[in-house]
Amino acid sequence: MTDVPKRKTTSLLLVAVAGLITAASLTHWLDTHTSPPDPTLQEQELYLSAGAARRLSLGFNALVADWYWMRSLQYVGRTILNAREHVELDDLGKLNLKLLSPMLDAATALDPEFIEAYEYAAIVLPPIDVNEAIRITRKGIDANPNAWRLYHQLGYIYWQQRDYATAARIYEQGAAIPGAPEWMKAMKARMAVEGGSPATAREIYIRLYEQSGDQKIRDMARRRLLQLDSSKEVENINKVLNAFRSRTGRCINSWAEITPAFRAGGIGMDATGTPLDPTNMPYRLLDEGCSVELAPQSEIPKR
Amino acid sequence: MFNLVLAIARNTFREALRDRILYNLVLFVMLLTGAAIFIGELSGGQERKIIVDLGLSAMLLFGVFIAIFVGVGLVYKEIERRTIYAIFSKPVGRGEFLVGKYLGLCLTLLVNVLVMGLGVCLALLYVSRGWDPLIISIWPSILLIYFELTIVTAVALLFSSFSSPALSALLTFLIFIIGHFSADLKNLSNLAPSAATRWLLAAVYYILPNLANYSFIAGAAHGHSPDPTRLLAATVFAAVFVTVLLASATLVFSHRNFK
Repeated sequence: MTDVPKRKTTSLLLVAVAGLITAASLTHWLDTHTSPPDPTLQEQELYLSAGAARRLSLGFNALVADWYWMRSLQYVGRTILNAREHVELDDLGKLNLKLLSPMLDAATALDPEFIEAYEYAAIVLPPIDVNEAIRITRKGIDANPNAWRLYHQLGYIYWQQRDYATAARIYEQGAAIPGAPEWMKAMKARMAVEGGSPATAREIYIRLYEQSGDQKIRDMARRRLLQLDSSKEVENINKVLNAFRSRTGRCINSWAEITPAFRAGGIGMDATGTPLDPTNMPYRLLDEGCSVELAPQSEIPKR
Repeated sequence: MFNLVLAIARNTFREALRDRILYNLVLFVMLLTGAAIFIGELSGGQERKIIVDLGLSAMLLFGVFIAIFVGVGLVYKEIERRTIYAIFSKPVGRGEFLVGKYLGLCLTLLVNVLVMGLGVCLALLYVSRGWDPLIISIWPSILLIYFELTIVTAVALLFSSFSSPALSALLTFLIFIIGHFSADLKNLSNLAPSAATRWLLAAVYYILPNLANYSFIAGAAHGHSPDPTRLLAATVFAAVFVTVLLASATLVFSHRNFK
């Protein structure tokens, strides 16, 4: 009689375990036999408008803003991974990211003080939709009139669009805000005089790197600075190659032929005389010794 | 009279402990711990903000559920178990009974809110790897959340004084939702075509509590504290509104026949 409850317990446990194993196997089978979702349908997922989301959040608007923020990051990250090629955060125009603007708009509508979301929009959105990038950043400025960083972000957008006059005006407005650093004034002057120069680009990326709280934006700014440095180096190396060709009537057969010129020009080299980029990767000789480019495995973005 | 009220309040609190209401804190702690550990990978450097948003939102949500589902049962359970006859056979007034029950649940919510607030502070210490100014600045916002919960509790108690638990819970939840839509009510009142509609919507706006005034979670996550004047006004409003609700509940309850 005492065995009956034990047998019953054992049977029930076996049923539960067997059932779970069967359910897990069925789930796996369904996963492998279901066709992948249509990517165009996924892109047409309904997202509430910013105003509707704000109304429906019932006082939980900050949490819903965080949800939209994390979804934005996941959306960009997933799209970059699916692209299977390296793309910079400020060069995502070739990827289809049409939902990014509504998501960032919603996040900032739900939490108007979410400065990092405006910053992300200012960096990532311009190649996708520059008008939306400007609109969202201006919305941030209206909601946070003392946030001088947002003027810097807006100035960056106009600088990228080569509208140096407007960028200068934006930096001037930002410099007037209490607490704005002195370099905002200097940036205004630099924009007005030499907006398109590499020096201005360098200054912009240095400030982006220093001011941003987002590690991905800092990484992007760091790589752009490396790109600026390597552009100068490539220019100098090409000058040396062209000088050699003018002198000898041919292109170089190996780096060793122009090592002395590199030494004289202060161009960094490894032990074999191969010039190195700012990340210490060797440059690659092209066109049978007539030009140079970054190595494919270099982390510096290609033009 | 005050001793009677306190005795009922203490008993209500003990009953809440016996009913394991505070076990929701275990779920809260699990939620916050998971968030603190995993959120870093998903938040793009916004862990502190998300911990505060998540912690305070969960505090409000859990608190509203407790206020509604325990609040509507405060009176009903006594009637159902017939213990209400034993209570009113003593020199206990109906008003004292309701106020005591209300204060007991408010004490439960206070313990809930305090423990959750400490949980959020600990999570902030973890993600910030040390001291974080948000640990201090979130407390005024937590106070506003607590006042919101006291209002919702009083609403639940009012409905439960004359209605069934299911209907009381539904009505209280509706008041909570409408309370957060107050701004839209006011806009509708301004835009309504007819004077009668405008007056009706304005009346609804002023009669129902504007719970959006107690919502400062987003500001707290950015390190802001509510304006002291606003905090004082919200405190006074909560005290006045709760008094009105409890007086109304007592009025209704006094005329109720338990047979």
